[in-house]
Amino acid sequence: MAEYAHPEVLVDVEWVLEHRKEVDRIRIVESDEDVLLYDMGHIPEAVKVDWQTDLQHPVIRDYIDKEAFARLCEERGISDDTTVVFYGDKNNWWACYAFWAFKMYRHADCRIMNGGRQKWLNQNLPVEKAVPQYPRGRYRPRDRDLSIRAFRDQVLEHLERGGKLIDVRTKGEYTGELLHMPDYPQEGALRGGHIPGALHIPWQVAIRDDGTFKSREELEEIYIGQHGLSPDDDIIVYCRIGERSSLTWFVLTYLLGFKRVRNYDGSWTEWGNLVGVPIEKGEASS
Amino acid sequence: MCDLQSRIEELEEEFQLLDPRERLELLLDYAARLPELPEEFRDAADRELHRVPECQTPVFLWLTFDDGAVLHAEVAPEAPTVQGFVSLLRELIAGCSPEQVAQIPQDLLHRVGLVEALGMVRSRGLHAILHRVRAMAGQQQSAAAKSQS
Repeated sequence: MAEYAHPEVLVDVEWVLEHRKEVDRIRIVESDEDVLLYDMGHIPEAVKVDWQTDLQHPVIRDYIDKEAFARLCEERGISDDTTVVFYGDKNNWWACYAFWAFKMYRHADCRIMNGGRQKWLNQNLPVEKAVPQYPRGRYRPRDRDLSIRAFRDQVLEHLERGGKLIDVRTKGEYTGELLHMPDYPQEGALRGGHIPGALHIPWQVAIRDDGTFKSREELEEIYIGQHGLSPDDDIIVYCRIGERSSLTWFVLTYLLGFKRVRNYDGSWTEWGNLVGVPIEKGEASS
Repeated sequence: MCDLQSRIEELEEEFQLLDPRERLELLLDYAARLPELPEEFRDAADRELHRVPECQTPVFLWLTFDDGAVLHAEVAPEAPTVQGFVSLLRELIAGCSPEQVAQIPQDLLHRVGLVEALGMVRSRGLHAILHRVRAMAGQQQSAAAKSQS
């Protein structure tokens, strides 16, 4: 079976089981949708990084600045050269989101535990409620790498150039039906639909039933075979707030070796509220 | 009859004394107290109507008023924050009338400082739960008014 393009970034549960006590060079990080899930029990050596209360700026709609990120790492005993292994709930959505954010802050060695929290729990492996304490790390703040992040103006330019877009949300969100449900005004966007021309490739096509990633052959068949994408394509992925699309970003970039994939973290909660931008409703036009 | 107003004030006081991290810990205590969904609701034919669709995790709510309000809930175990908030609402409205429940302040999450502790995006799902509980109480109210007229 062909290896993934960057096989080192994906570790399995057994690898974590074997290396989890090497806390002076490895830090396991849990990142979940629910901010309290870690507190219910986590891999004993794991620390928590919350996508919202830790990584997002408390006032501006953006991520924290590089100094705050360095502090966040140091408090968790993460230094510049620490191997950081992410895992989480929901098939690793938030683990991939945190991985993407750490890459944006140019952390060198990031990995994902294949199968996430569920796979660990399913095997009845040890969990712990106590929060482990580690000696403070030493972290040098670095300017963000924006080559993996797309802003709305870049999405517009990309659209005008005919660049490829992938919408990874559910069918209802993609077609715009979901905002039409009566009595539920709180979807966070004033308009429904998708960015014109965006391919609809839901995030879960990359995942097996047990939450692990499909093989390279299977993934190539889907993204390259069925949807006609090529590893040299300039691609922007998006969803509702950028979490599910970071999973697809991870798959394309690290498992398939695509060279230029950006995550549009503003995603539909920004696009669906922008004045004057083009929107397409219904099924894909092509 | 319950004194919802003073219960809300007590709740505000309880949460506002804490920093955001401690508020989440308190929410975890509430989560631990949420009882299981009674059997009679588990296989209800209209189960899907009781889902709160704005929540990304499955949440099902029933509100009965046999002897004052009782909120019954099924919340996915991987959503302790949602369990905690539902449990908080359950304790808050226990024994109240439909009129009272329909009047729970819409900004409850702000008042107890949970928006600050959870962030805006996560709070949206909890707002939806509050909205749903108020709406269910409102339906009871209008149904009762109809049967009287």
